[in-house]
Amino acid sequence: MLSGLVILGIGLFETQVIQGGHYRKASERNRIRVIRLEAPRGNILDRYGALVATSRPAYNVYAIPEDFDPQDIPTLSRLLNLPENQIRFRLSQTRFASFTPVLLKQDVSKEVAMQIEERRPELAGVFIQIGMIRTYPQGEVAAHIVGYIGKISREEYAALDPSIYNYDAWIGKVGIERVFDTYLRGEDGGRQLEVNARGAPIRLLGEVEPRPGTDLHLSLDTKLEAKIRPLVVNKRSAILILDLKKGELLAAVSTPGFDPNVFVTPGRSTERLSLIGSKERPLLDRGLNGLYPPGSIFKLLTAMAALETGTITSHTTFECPGYFRFGPKSRPFKCWFSEGHGRVDLYTALERSCNVYFYNVGRLLGEKRLAEYARKLGFGSEVPFELPTADGIVPDAEWKQVMRHDKWYQGETITLAIGQSYLLVSPLQIVRLVAAIATDGRVFQPKLVRDDFISIKSEKKFSVRPETFKALRQGMLQVVSSDKGTGQLARLNFTKLAAKTGTAQAPPGEPHAWFGGFFPYENPEIAMVVFVERGRSGGITAGQIAKKVAHIYHDLYNSPVS
Amino acid sequence: MISIIPRFLKGIYWPIVFLTLLLAAMGMITIYSASFRGSGDFTSKQFLWCLIGLAVFFMTISVGYRSFLNLSYLFYVITIALLLWVLILGEARSGAQRWIMLGSFAVQPSEFSKIATILALANFLAGRSSIQQQKRTLITALILVGVPAVLVLKQPDLGSALVFAPFLLTVIFFWGIRIRYLIFLFLMGLSSLPLVWHVLKPYQQKRLLVFVNPAIDPVGASYTAIQSKIAVGSGGLLGKGWLQGTQTQLDFVPEHHTDFIFSVIGEEFGFLGAVFILFLFGLLIIYAFRIVDHTTDFRARLLALGIAMAFSFQVFVNIGMTIGLAPITGLPLPFISYGGSALVANFFAFGLLASIYKERSIF
Repeated sequence: MLSGLVILGIGLFETQVIQGGHYRKASERNRIRVIRLEAPRGNILDRYGALVATSRPAYNVYAIPEDFDPQDIPTLSRLLNLPENQIRFRLSQTRFASFTPVLLKQDVSKEVAMQIEERRPELAGVFIQIGMIRTYPQGEVAAHIVGYIGKISREEYAALDPSIYNYDAWIGKVGIERVFDTYLRGEDGGRQLEVNARGAPIRLLGEVEPRPGTDLHLSLDTKLEAKIRPLVVNKRSAILILDLKKGELLAAVSTPGFDPNVFVTPGRSTERLSLIGSKERPLLDRGLNGLYPPGSIFKLLTAMAALETGTITSHTTFECPGYFRFGPKSRPFKCWFSEGHGRVDLYTALERSCNVYFYNVGRLLGEKRLAEYARKLGFGSEVPFELPTADGIVPDAEWKQVMRHDKWYQGETITLAIGQSYLLVSPLQIVRLVAAIATDGRVFQPKLVRDDFISIKSEKKFSVRPETFKALRQGMLQVVSSDKGTGQLARLNFTKLAAKTGTAQAPPGEPHAWFGGFFPYENPEIAMVVFVERGRSGGITAGQIAKKVAHIYHDLYNSPVS
Repeated sequence: MISIIPRFLKGIYWPIVFLTLLLAAMGMITIYSASFRGSGDFTSKQFLWCLIGLAVFFMTISVGYRSFLNLSYLFYVITIALLLWVLILGEARSGAQRWIMLGSFAVQPSEFSKIATILALANFLAGRSSIQQQKRTLITALILVGVPAVLVLKQPDLGSALVFAPFLLTVIFFWGIRIRYLIFLFLMGLSSLPLVWHVLKPYQQKRLLVFVNPAIDPVGASYTAIQSKIAVGSGGLLGKGWLQGTQTQLDFVPEHHTDFIFSVIGEEFGFLGAVFILFLFGLLIIYAFRIVDHTTDFRARLLALGIAMAFSFQVFVNIGMTIGLAPITGLPLPFISYGGSALVANFFAFGLLASIYKERSIF
C-alpha cells in the first residue's frame, strides 16, 4: 500500500518539480489573453484636404477557437453566409495560440451583427468587434499614387518585426500606403486580460493605448484629376501635371485605372483577381513606372546637349531633303516629312520636329555626349521621389557592349538623337525635363507629400546655361503657336502654351503619342506630360488631350491670361 | 459522571483522531479556496459535517465494533434499499443519480453502502470455514458484494463501484481463498471486461480511453485531465499560495472542491504541500494496517482490512487521477473533498478501526 504512495510521490515530483516550469507557463497561457487594440490608420488627404484614403467603422465577427463549440459551426455558417469549411479553416489557423481571437468575417451588416449579439449566450466564444476598414472615397482617382493595403503575406510577416506587424495585420501593399506604412499605421495597443475557463474576462492586467497613425497630405489636387480622367478613360495613357511654383505633383492620371476599394472590401476577390490578371495592366502606374521610347520629344534633350557643348547654336542650319545619308552610298534615314523641310534652323527644326536636323546634330555630338546629358537630366535612373519609379534605359556604346554584346553603330547615334534606338523613358522623366526647361532648371525635383517630416534627398544639380533653356522654350513656343508647328492643335485662346510633341515608333503596333508642355509661356505655372500608349500621333492625339487638360486647369484655377 | 470521561477516553487511538482531524482541516482550508469566489458556503457546511462525523466517530467507539458487525446484515439491507431508492427517485446532479435529499442536505448512500458491505462481508466470511464448502461461501460473498457494486455502477458512479473490487479481493484472500479460485476469479473478471465496457456510459468509456492516450480529445474528455495536471504541475515546489491558484480559481479545473480538490492543493501549496498531505495519508494507512495486525478477532481483522484497503484505494486513485496516473472516475479524496456523506462515512469507518484498536486486548 505504501508503495502506491511512493509512486504518487514520484509522480508529484515529476509533475511539480521537474516539469513545474512547463506547467506554470501552460497555466499562464490559460489565464492570460492579449487583445490587440488596433491603432486607427492615418488618413491620406489631397492638397485641399479632400480625403483620398480613410477608415470607416465595420462590424467584424471574431471567434476564440478555444472557447468555440464546433457544434455551432452550422448556425454560424448560416448567419455569416460563410462555408462551414472556411470557418473550420480559420479556426484552425491559430492552433498554437488557441486563445487568440480569430477574425471570421469582416464588415458584416448591422443586422447580422445584431443577430450574433442576440445569440451570444448560445454562441460561445463568438463576438462582434467594431473595427476600422480602409476605404478610398474617390475610387480610381489617385489610386495609383495612394495604392492600397492588404493582409500581411507570409513573406512580409517573416521579414518584419512581429511586435509591430501581427500575423493578421493589414499592411500597405502599393503606393503611399506601402511606402509610408510606418507613419500611417501608428502603434497598436493591447489589453492583457485574465480570463476564466469559459473565456470570460475576470480582470484587466494591463493596457497599452494605441497610438493613432499620422495623416499624410499629398500635393495632388484630386478635383483636377477627377475632371481630367474622363478624357483618357478608354485609353492606355498617363497624364502628369507638375506645379512649377513649388515643384509639386498636381495630378497623376494613369489609365486604365482601378478602384482600390476592391482590395480592402471583403468579398470582392473576383474583381481583385481580374484586375491582377488583366492584359490592360490597370495596376501599372504608367506615369511613374511605364517605360516607353520617347520619340521626338527627346529632341529637346538632344538640342540641349548640342547647345551646351557648343556643337550648334540656335542659328545653326541644316538642309533637310526628306532623308539623311552618312555617305553617298549608305542607306537613307528618313525624315517624317518625305518632301523635306528644306534649310532649317534649331527653332524651325523643333517647331516642325525635323528628323534630319537632329540626325546631323546627333552625328556631330556623338552618342557618348548625348547619353551623358541624358543621364545628367535624370534619364536612365530612378527619379528621386516619394514612390518607387522606373529607371529606363539610356544606351551608349558601353551599354550595348554589356547588354547586347555588340558594337555601337553610327546609325544608332542618330536614331538616339531623335529619341528612338534602345532609349526608354517614363512620363515622369519627361515632365521633369519640361519643368526644368520651363523654369531655367529651378524646378526639377517633383514632390508629392507635403508634410514636413518627410523629405527625399534630391540629386546633384546640373548646370545648363539660361540661354540654352531660353532657346528651347522659344522652340517649344513655336511648336504650338506656329501654323506649321506639330503641336498647334493644343493652342490655347487664353494663354501661350509651349510644348514638344513626340510620336515614338514602337513596332509592332501603332506609335506612342507624347506631348510635353508648360504654360503660361511667360511666368509658367504648370508643366505637363500627356502620354497615350499606341496613340498614333503626338500632335493629334496627345495634343488635343493636352489642350483640354489646359482648359480644365484654367477653369479650375482661373489662371490669369498672360 | 466525571469518572466516565477518562474511562471513555482511555484506549482511544489518538494519532488517528489527530490525523483525520488534520486532514479534514486541510480539506476545509482548501475547500474555502476552491469555492470562495462562487456561490454557496461549502466551508461552513463541511465544518458542520465534520462535527457530525466526529460525533459519529466517538459514538462508534463507545458502541464498539461488535454491535455493528452483529447488525451488519440490517445495515446492508438498509443501504441496498437506499441505493434502489436513489436509482428510482434520486436527485440527479450532473447526469448521475447519487443523492437522497434530507431537507437541505443531500445524502449519498453509496458512501455508506461501501462500509455496510465491508461489515457484512467480514461478518459473513468470519462465520464460515475456509476449509469446507468454500465454493458456496465464495459465491455468496460475490453476490453480497456484487449487488451494491452493480447498483452503484448503475447510478452511474464508476469510481465508487471500483472500490468494491480491491477490498473484496483482499478480504477473501486473507480469509483463506484457494489460489485456484483466486485465479479463476481473476480470469472471470478479465473475461467480463468487454461486458463491463458495454455497461459503461460513453463518457466513461471516453475517460478511460483518454487515460491511455490524452491526445485523443484534448478539448473534450481529456480537457479535465490536462487542466488538472497543469494545475498540479504549475504549483511547482512551493505552490502559488493559498487562494492564488489560477487554474482552479478560474475554473479551468472542474469539480475542484470535490473530486479534484487535490489539484487545488497541488497548485496552491506546491510539491511540499502535496507531499505533506501524502505523508498524512501514509501515516493513516500505516496505522490502519497496524490495527489489522494487532487485533486477534478474525471478524475485526477482516473488517479492518477491508476498511484500510478501500481507504488506500480511494486515496491512490483520487490523487493519481489529478496527475494522470489513474483514469478520471469520480472518487472523492477521503476527509478532504467536500461532501458530507463521504466525510461522515469515513469518520464512521475510522471509528470502527479505533474501536477495534481499543478492544484488541479483550480476548
